[in-house]
Formats: sequence, structure tokens, C-alpha cells
Amino acid sequence: MAAPLYGLIASFDTARDVYHAAEKVRDAGFRHWDCITPMPVHGLDKAMGLKRSIVPRISLAGGITGFFTGMTMIWWTGAVDYQLVVGGKPLFSPMFAFPVSYELTILFTAFATIIGMFVVNGLPMHYHPVLKYDQIRRGMDDTFFIVIEARDPRFNLANTKALLEQAGGRAISELEA
Amino acid sequence: MPAESSAAPEASRALVIGLIGLAATALGLLVSPASAVALSYLVGLTYWTAIALGMLLLILIHHIVDASWSVVIRRQWEHGLMAFRWLGVLFLPLILVSLFYQSDLVWPWMNTARELHGGHTVGHDPLYLKKEGFLNVRAFVIGTAAFFLLWIWISARLRKASFSQDADGDTRWTFMNRKTAAFGLPIVALTLTAAIIYWVKSLEYHWFSTMYGVWFFANCIRGALCCGVLIMVWLLGRGNYKGVLNSNHFHSIGQLMLAFTVFWAYVTFSQYFLIWNANVPEETFWYNLRELNHDGTTNQWWYVGLVILFGHFFLPFFALLSYRFKVTPHIIRRIALAILTSILIDICYNVLPALKDSHGDSLPFLSINLLWVLTSVAGVGGVCVWAYLRSFPTTKLIPIRDPRIAESLTHHE
Repeated sequence: MAAPLYGLIASFDTARDVYHAAEKVRDAGFRHWDCITPMPVHGLDKAMGLKRSIVPRISLAGGITGFFTGMTMIWWTGAVDYQLVVGGKPLFSPMFAFPVSYELTILFTAFATIIGMFVVNGLPMHYHPVLKYDQIRRGMDDTFFIVIEARDPRFNLANTKALLEQAGGRAISELEA
Repeated sequence: MPAESSAAPEASRALVIGLIGLAATALGLLVSPASAVALSYLVGLTYWTAIALGMLLLILIHHIVDASWSVVIRRQWEHGLMAFRWLGVLFLPLILVSLFYQSDLVWPWMNTARELHGGHTVGHDPLYLKKEGFLNVRAFVIGTAAFFLLWIWISARLRKASFSQDADGDTRWTFMNRKTAAFGLPIVALTLTAAIIYWVKSLEYHWFSTMYGVWFFANCIRGALCCGVLIMVWLLGRGNYKGVLNSNHFHSIGQLMLAFTVFWAYVTFSQYFLIWNANVPEETFWYNLRELNHDGTTNQWWYVGLVILFGHFFLPFFALLSYRFKVTPHIIRRIALAILTSILIDICYNVLPALKDSHGDSLPFLSINLLWVLTSVAGVGGVCVWAYLRSFPTTKLIPIRDPRIAESLTHHE
């Protein structure tokens, strides 16, 4: 009962090795792959060819929504639905609607950022195929890994294995899904 | 990496611009009323004092939070602190004129016999008498002298410790700077608040706003951050900062620029909003003067206010949201220049409407007085930039033995 292939994993001893190997995998054009490192490696995002996250755009969308929610809500309640003169002020003015709109901007930005982050990074994730790999715990200690997924259009068991070997990867193993 | 670098030609050019600017401002006395020239000169002084104070604050904040990324930029702000002694010297004419020529030429409350609208004098004005303990000539002169001396003294301590560390690498200089920061921050915060109240807010001594010191603080920091960006791009273009700066330094300073853009807007809006909402005549007159003439027509300052709203907040806010804009040197340089222009307009907005015509309406923004503002900004600025450039070649380009220099050189998001 062989489980389908998830991908290939290769281990590296140093941050320098995984960094240069990542550059090779990036240049080979892979898209569905990742590095597992025991600590943040500065510049690895560039070596992997990662683009900047789209979370800031989601945050901006949340902020704009919050601002206009505040403005519209106060305009509609005060100037349309239940007109009431308070303190001799106009029925609607962006002045007094501003503090609430400002706070809703921040609130909606915070919601959008946190929700956006979880949607984009796929957390919480209760299972991942690498967890079945017996050496994976060393990825929290002293070993660096590169995982290339089989669903990547450029994936080819023999060639990808060769690429990882040529990039300096050791103990290249197949991962079950 | 060139450790030391000369900037002699730039320094002489700055000094020449400064002296021409000061001379042109003095010539303005032949064309415009002395009070108009004096207030324009006050704008120039306040503007550059704000930037110098911002640099002082940023260095103090750098030390108090033990920052690492800004180590390579801090040295340039330390050079900028040399402006304080010259700003003190350049402030003298305003004080001398008030003491010996015409006491109410700049600050109306200095002449207690000055007649007010309605017939009584400043000396009989309850709103002056209540504030007399603070608003009197002796306190003003002693205060202003003390402010400059304190700023010069704190600056000297910061510079000495930082420069000495270049030679011996002793960490005790870092600890000395941390102590200076601990007592320097409250001193600078209080003195800059008192200074802006004396120099600018007291031009309309009837008015009050608890936000004023904070508003000035926000402009100080924004000015210093923007000058920091200009210096970074300048030194990068000259080759000095090659291999020193990476895009994360621009990202970090850009983030601070964004944060203080929002902070400035928060404070400035709060001041306006509270006065608008409370609608108390002793406060609203200050904004009325900047929006309407006595016959109800809109004056030029209303448009200036809109320029400030969009130029000092919306434009830099949306521009600085972008990562790409923050890390592209020529773009963030343009944003910095736009903010520096807006700070100048903001200070004009706070100072110049104190000049009034016979109806009590503020004089228009677009007038010959704007020329004296520009000559004053060039004059005072030329001297400040000269002071910076004269200090520039006297030390290493960056604090090479600061304990956090390696972290700063490899600064990462």
C-alpha cells in the first residue's frame, strides 16, 4: 500500500550550503518547494526567489474598508436615518466622524492582517508529509533541508534527485504524502 | 571603505549661500515692515532648530532603546548637532531687537503698553496677567539662553562619547551615552515644548493648545528623518556609503517616516478637532484667522491649510505605504524633500498669520514676506549645513567601534 509520492527531501550541514543549493533550485525554475532551517537564514528569501508577501495589500484593503465603514455609518445614522442636532454641529461632518473612522481603520487593518496572514501561510496545519520523515527533528537543531514537491510541473524523480545531489544535498529521500 | 572624507567645497558653498541668504533677509528691512521680516526670520530659525532638535532626539532615542540598525546613520546626526551653537547666535538679533529697539516687534506681549483691540492694553489684559509668570521678558531671555545651552551641552556629551569610542573602542562610552539619553530625553522634551511656546505660540498669547509641544516634536523628528534620508542618498551617491547601507536601512528609516507622518497627523488633527468641537472663542479665533477674513470671505491661509493636510499627511502617508518607494533611494529622497517642504509651510502657517492688517485680518501667504521666509531658510540653513559639513571630515564616517556596528552593517528586516 504505497502512499503517493509527496516529494524529495535533501539535507545540508550548513546555512551556506542550503543557501547556495536554494539558489540552484530557484534557477532551475521550481515553484513548489521550501527550505527547512533551524534558525532564520538572512537573505534566504532572496536565494529562494520569494516575492514579498501580499499581506500588506490585504491590510490596506482592510484599512480602507474600515475607514469608509466608519464614515458611512456615522453619515447614515446621523444625517439620514435619525437626524439629530448635537451641540449645534452639522448633521454630518467628517470632523466628528473621523475619530471613529480612524479607529475602525486600525481595527479592520488588524483583522485583515491577522486573517490575511493565516490564509496566506496556511496555518494552522495539523499534518505535513515531512513529519513522517524520521530525521525531520534535526531541522530544529543542526540540519538544513530542502523539500521539492512532486506536484511541481518541473518535478521528475530522477532529474530532481540529480539536481539536489549536484547542489550538495545529502541523504536524499522520497517523502510519502 | 574611505573612513574619512573631505567636504570642503560643499562646506564653503553652504556658507556662501547662508551669508547671502542672511544678507538678503537684512535687505528685506528696506522693502518690508521690520515685523514682517522678523517673523519671516523666525520661521527660518524655527525650521532649522526643529531639524537640529529632531537629530538630537533621534540620537537620544537611539541610545535609550539600544538600537542597532541606525548606528551607521547616527554619526551624521551627530555632525548635524553642530548647528545648535550657530542657531543660538542667529537667534540673538530677535532678542536684541526686542530688548533695545522695539519690544513688541516680534512678540506683542513683550510691550505691556501695547493697545489691544477694544481699547485696553496688554498690561491690563486678564489673559496676559494670568500668564505673566511665564510670559515675561526676563523668563523668555533666560529661558531661550538656557534652552540653547542645554541643547549644546547634551550634544557635546553625545559627540564626545561617540567620537572617543572611535579611538579606543571602550564600551564605557556607550554606557555614558545611555545615561545622557536617560536624562537628556526629558530635558529636551520639556525645553523644546517651552521653546516653541515662547517663540511661536506666544505670538498669539490669548490662544492655548496642550498639543502644541507634541505638534512641534512631531515636526522635529520628521525633519531630522528626512534630512537623514537626504544625507544617506548623498553619501551613497558620493560612494562613501557604498557597502555600508543596504535596502533595509532605507526600509527602516522609511518606516519611521511613515510612523511619524501618522503621529503628526494624529496630533495636528486632534488639536483642530478639539477646538472645532468645543467651539470656545478664545481658541477658535486662532483657526478663524487662518481661514476667514473678518467679512467672512475665505483667505489664502485656508488653502495653505489644505496644502498642509494633503502635502504633509495624505501624500507622504500613501507614498510611504509602499515598500518599493521606501527602498528606492531616489524615490524616498523625493518623499523626504516633499515632507521637508511641508514642514516649512506648516511652520509658516503657525507663525505668519500673526502679521495682521488694520482690520485684524491675517496678511496673505503669497506676498513679498514669502521671499523673506525663503531667504531666511537659505540663510539659517546655509549656516547649519556648513556647521554639519565642517564637522563631517573630523571623524570616521561611521562609528567603527560601536558595539552594534556589525549588526548595523548587516541590518536585516
